[in-house]
Amino acid sequence: MMSAAPPPGIVKAADRGLAACEVCGRVSPLPPARCPRCASALHLRKPDSIRRTLAMLAAATALCLPAHLLPMLTIVELGRVTPSTIIGGMLTFWESGDYPIALVIFAASIVIPIIKIVTLLWLCAAASGWLHPSPAALVRLHGITELLGRWSMVDIFVVGILVALLQLGNYMSVIPGPGSLAFAGVVVFTMLAAMAFDPRLLWDRLDTRQDPARIQTRESPPD
Amino acid sequence: MSTPRTSRRAAETWPKPAGTRHSACRFCDALHVSEPVEEGLAARCTRCGTMLYQNRPASLARATAFGIAALTAMVLAHFFPFLIMDAAGMRSKLTLVGAARALIDQDSPLLGVSVILFTIVTPLVLAGGLVYVCLPLHFGRSAPGAVSVAKWMYRSEPWNMVEVFMLGVIVSLLKLIKVADVEFGAGFWSFGMLMLFMAAAVAGIDREELWDRMEIARGGQTAGPAR
Ligand SMILES: [Zn+2]
Repeated sequence: MMSAAPPPGIVKAADRGLAACEVCGRVSPLPPARCPRCASALHLRKPDSIRRTLAMLAAATALCLPAHLLPMLTIVELGRVTPSTIIGGMLTFWESGDYPIALVIFAASIVIPIIKIVTLLWLCAAASGWLHPSPAALVRLHGITELLGRWSMVDIFVVGILVALLQLGNYMSVIPGPGSLAFAGVVVFTMLAAMAFDPRLLWDRLDTRQDPARIQTRESPPD
Repeated sequence: MSTPRTSRRAAETWPKPAGTRHSACRFCDALHVSEPVEEGLAARCTRCGTMLYQNRPASLARATAFGIAALTAMVLAHFFPFLIMDAAGMRSKLTLVGAARALIDQDSPLLGVSVILFTIVTPLVLAGGLVYVCLPLHFGRSAPGAVSVAKWMYRSEPWNMVEVFMLGVIVSLLKLIKVADVEFGAGFWSFGMLMLFMAAAVAGIDREELWDRMEIARGGQTAGPAR
């Protein structure tokens, strides 16, 4: 795994048997498998990173179905029961001319989860050697996955707020639907997937495939 | 091995534990010798440009002050409602705990617990933890259990959803404004302050600096061979 050949002037910590602690950042030799500063477990690379990322992504993808098919919430108004799904709620906003909110819901509940799942799949494929992206693209893509995740939770919070406020006895009440729990699961599992992924695997893959002779000599400080 | 890309050698820097320290890029694993950087500057990876560490000006004072401000805003956010709604002759008020309790009462305990975790517990661990660790460090001391607290801060950071909840309150207000009289309450604005103070507190001190200072305050004792 560590038979990598990074460009001249660059040494990878793993090649020297050094590991950066994931919690406190201290670089120390491995073994021992514990950080001398904070006693967290040390690994050269996150153990089983790609498989764990894929497992989390599979869970998130499977939950997408109930999240979008089952109602997020059910409105009981004067005895009339109206279930509302994510897409249904978004369309209601769109039809009543509330384009900004419709777009916020569309972005947070539909676009961001899809982008996250596709991006992480793409990164897993690159780390497994099936795709050969440029490092610059990797930096950007990985940044996206870390940045976006939490915002999808906005719809869940909206459900909580509406349920809390709209309890007007017989006139109107709102009940959370099973779709909201499934959707919260989608968000949590995509976040866990992003955390399980180890971006250093991408560079290991890049280093093993690059021909050292073709790398331009670059300005780097002396060792 | 390379030294990080910085513009000048440091004059003002935080105290470093003895011995040569290394820094590995968490994105590409490139190894660097940890060189001190001047206040306001950051060390970046020579391979991929990811920030390795940075020297924040007045870091301990800022993290402590903004942490205390964030805790104060947090208390206010729990005392006042986020939204006040008049509909069908009834006045309802929204609080954070109220939203969580409504979900639990309506047979969605997991959702209620998530709201509590992401909007109440996580910010408390982050802001409270920063104050607990940084305030004693100001006087060169390490609080009891500071290492565990700092670990919990690190773990909870990605789950902090204060700003997402703010967006949720805004979307809800726009949704409700058609069926009722709704307005923002003081809780909403306090929560906004919490969001700003917390961002400032977390950005106030770099992880590397926090852990270096903790290591020195604990007397440089390490559990294993130093290197
Ligand atoms: Zn790097």
